[in-house]
Amino acid sequence: MSAITASEKVDGFTRKSMRKAQKQKKSQGSSQFRTQSACLELSTLPQLKDAPSTEQQELFAQKLQQCCVLFDFMDSVTDLKSKEIKRATLTELVDYVSTNRGVLTEQSYPDITHMICTNIFRTLPPSDNPDFDPEEDEPTLEASWPHIQLVYEFMLRFLENPDFQPTIAKRYIDQKFVLQLLELFDSEDPRERDFLKTVLHRIYGKFLGLRAFIRKQINNIFLRFIYETEHFNGVAELLEILGSIINGFALPLKAEHKQFLMKVLIPLHTAKALALFHAQLAYCVVQFLEKDPTLTEPVIRGLLKFWPKTCSQKEVMYLGEIEEILDVIEPTQFKKVQEPLFKQISRCVANPHFQVAERALYFWNNEYILSLIEENIGTVLPIMFGSLYRISKEHWNPTIVALVYNVLKTLMEMNNTLFDELTASYKADRQREKKKEQEREELWKKLDELRLRDTQNNSHGVSNALNNSSNNNNNNNNADSNHHDKNADSDSAADTTKDGVTTEQGATMETK
Amino acid sequence: MEAFRLMKELKTNFDQEIKYLPKEAGLALIESTQENGRGISAKCRNAKAEDLWSLTSFFGYSTQTFVLAVNLLDRFLAIMRVQPKHLACISIGCLHIAAKVVEQECNISSTHELIRISQSKFTVSDLSRMEKIISEKLNFQFKAITALTFLHLYHAITLSHTSDRKEVLNQDKLEAQLKACLCRIVFSKAKPSVLALSLLTLEIEALQSVDMLEIAQRIQRHLKISESELQHWRGLVAQCISEYSSPECSKPDHKKLVWIVSRRTAQNLHSSYYSVPELPTIPEGGWDESESEDWYEDVSSGEESLSSSLGSDAEGPYFPMHYRCQSRKTPTF
Repeated sequence: MSAITASEKVDGFTRKSMRKAQKQKKSQGSSQFRTQSACLELSTLPQLKDAPSTEQQELFAQKLQQCCVLFDFMDSVTDLKSKEIKRATLTELVDYVSTNRGVLTEQSYPDITHMICTNIFRTLPPSDNPDFDPEEDEPTLEASWPHIQLVYEFMLRFLENPDFQPTIAKRYIDQKFVLQLLELFDSEDPRERDFLKTVLHRIYGKFLGLRAFIRKQINNIFLRFIYETEHFNGVAELLEILGSIINGFALPLKAEHKQFLMKVLIPLHTAKALALFHAQLAYCVVQFLEKDPTLTEPVIRGLLKFWPKTCSQKEVMYLGEIEEILDVIEPTQFKKVQEPLFKQISRCVANPHFQVAERALYFWNNEYILSLIEENIGTVLPIMFGSLYRISKEHWNPTIVALVYNVLKTLMEMNNTLFDELTASYKADRQREKKKEQEREELWKKLDELRLRDTQNNSHGVSNALNNSSNNNNNNNNADSNHHDKNADSDSAADTTKDGVTTEQGATMETK
Repeated sequence: MEAFRLMKELKTNFDQEIKYLPKEAGLALIESTQENGRGISAKCRNAKAEDLWSLTSFFGYSTQTFVLAVNLLDRFLAIMRVQPKHLACISIGCLHIAAKVVEQECNISSTHELIRISQSKFTVSDLSRMEKIISEKLNFQFKAITALTFLHLYHAITLSHTSDRKEVLNQDKLEAQLKACLCRIVFSKAKPSVLALSLLTLEIEALQSVDMLEIAQRIQRHLKISESELQHWRGLVAQCISEYSSPECSKPDHKKLVWIVSRRTAQNLHSSYYSVPELPTIPEGGWDESESEDWYEDVSSGEESLSSSLGSDAEGPYFPMHYRCQSRKTPTF
C-alpha cells in the first residue's frame, strides 16, 4: 500500500494506476483456496464414451465425485496435473449431459447438485480495490475460472436437459440453494454473473414453487442496495431476468407486482451507479407500462420526484427513459401527466449542460411525441415557450440554438395563433422588465449624482431631490428616502463639522 | 390637427404605393407555374415566406422586417426568372437586407448565423453576392410602402378619433393576421392600402364598433377605394384568417428540418426498449400439470412469500382435489 515515494506524497496527485501497480497482490484473492486436509491427486478415469452402458452410471458418479476436489488457482504451479484432469473431466461431463438421453437418473441428482454446490458456492472475497468504480476500473476476475466456468456450463446443460425433472430436482434445488445462488450475483467477474443470470432464469422458469421466494429475495437485495449499502454488482443481471418475468405477467397485474414497481424499481433510479443498469431498468419500467397503462401516472410522477438535480449524466438517462415511456404512452394517460412533465422538460431544455438540453430538445424529432403535443398544444406550448424563447437568445452552445429553432418552428407550424399570442405576451413581459431595469439604473445614477453633489455642497437639497424621485419608484426605495430623511433631520440638528457630517452621510449611503 | 396631418400622410403614401408593387405579370407567372417545374411555384414561394416568418420570430426581428423582406422577395421574383434551388439564398438575402434597413445594428444577426439557423447550403459569400444582385435589380428602393405602413396609419387615425372607447384595436393581432396573409402569394397582388383596409374592417366588424366603422369608411372615401375592390379582397382575407386562426393543428412537415446532435448524444440515443432481450419471456401462472405436487406442498408448507398479504402468488385460486388425495410425497421443506 505504501510504496509511494515521498515526492509523490508531496505532489498529492499520485496517479491511481501507479498506486495500484505498487500494491501487492494479497494471497486471499481467490475464494477458492481452502486447505484440503490431504492434497488429493486425481487419477485419470476411463472415458465415459468408452465405458459400456452398464458401467456408465457408476463412472459418472465417480467423475462427479472427483470434481468435488477444489484447487488453489492463486498458486499457478501446484497440482497442475490434477487441475488438468479435473478440467478435462468437467469438459467430458458437460458433453455427456448435453448429448445423451437417459443420463439423469434419480440417483444422479444429489451427486450432480452436490458437485455444483461444492464448486460454486463460496464466500466471495472482499474486493481487492475498496474504491472499485464499476465504470472505470477493471473488475477482479475469478481466479479459478477455468474450472468454475465448466461447472456453470454443466449446470446449464443439466437444467436444460430434456430429461430434467423439476419434481426430483426440487429436493436439492431448494430455497437454500437459491439463496446461495443469489449471493453469487455480487461477484465482480462479469462472466460469472452472465452464467448466473441464465441459470437463475432457467430455475425461475422450471420451479414454480420457488418463484415467489426468488422474487422476494430479489426484492430484498434491491432494497438493501438502494437504502443500505449502494453496493451490489449484479443489479443489471437481476433486472434482465426480471424483464423477462415482467414480460410474462398475467393480466390484471397482481398488487404485489405493482408494489414492486413503485417501491423498488422507481427508487432504484436514485442509485449512484445507475449508468450500469439503466438500460435494463428502463426496459422493466416500460414493460410494466405496456402491461398496465394506468401505472403511467404514478411512474412518471415517481421519476419526476427523483429527478436528478446535480448529476447531468443521470439527467440524460432519465430523459432517455421518459422518451421511451412516451413512445408507448396512451393519449389519455398523457393528458394526466403533461403539465408536470413538460415543466420539467422546459427546465431541462434551458439547462446549461448542453447534453441535457440537447437530449430534451431531441424529443421534438419523435413523430409520436409530436402528435401528442399537437393534440394538447394549448397546454404544452405555454409551458415550453418561455424557456425556448429565452435560450434561443442566451444559450452558449450553437448546436442547441439551432435545435431550438427547429423546435420553435415546429411549434409555430402547429398552431400559429397561439404561438403569436405567446410571442406577444413574452415580448410585453420583456418590455416591462427592461423598463424596470432602466428605472432602477436611473435611480442609482441619481443617487450617485446626489452623493457627489452632497459631498461638494453638503446642502439640504439632498432630501428634497430624493423625495421627488422616490414618488414614482417602487417600495425598496422607500427605505432610501426614510433613511435620508432621518439623516436630513440629523443634519439640520447637527453641530458637528462639515466633514464629520459629510462622511457620516457618505458612509451611510455606501452601506446602503 | 393630428387627424388632418395623418390623413395627408395617408394620401401621400397611397399615391406612392404603386411604386413598390411587384409586377403583376410576374406574380401571375409564379401562380401558374407547376410544382417541380423549372420555375418558382406559388407553393414554393409561400413555403419560403413561412420560413422567413419563423426566422423573423426566432431572431426577434420586428414585423416590419418581415413585411419588407416579403415585399423585396416578391418584387424580385416578379421580374427575374429564378431557379428553385436559388430561392433559399434569395429569401435569406431579402431578409438580411430588410433587417439592415429596419433593425438597429446591434440587433442584426450575422450572416453566418442566419445561414446556420436556416440550415441553408450556401456560403456567406454567396449570400453577399445575392444581396448585391437583389439590391441592383430593385434599384436600391428599400424603404417600401407596405400594408404595414397603412395598418399603422389606420391605427393612428382611429386612435386620434377616439375619446374614450371601450373597444380598442389590437395592433398585434392585426399584424399577425397580416403576416399570415403575406404567406400567400395571392395577397401580393393586392394594393397594400386595400389589403390593410380589409384587415382593419374585418377586425372592426368582429368588434362590432359603429364609430370605428365610420372612421374606416371615411378612410375609404378619402382614398377613393372602390367598394367592389374592397369587398373582393375582404373575402379572400376573411378566408385566410379563418384558416389561420382555426384551432385545428396542421401537422408540421418536420422532415424538412435537420436535427443535428452532438456525437455523444447520438451515441446514447439507442433505445434500451428496442434492444432485444436475450432471455425468453417466462409466462406467469404457467400451471403445469406435472407440477401439481408442487402446488400441494406450496399451499400446505406455510407460505413464506411476501405475497401472502399482498395477493397470493399461487398461480390459480385452487388446486385440483384429486391430486391432493393422490399425493405420495411429503413436504421436504
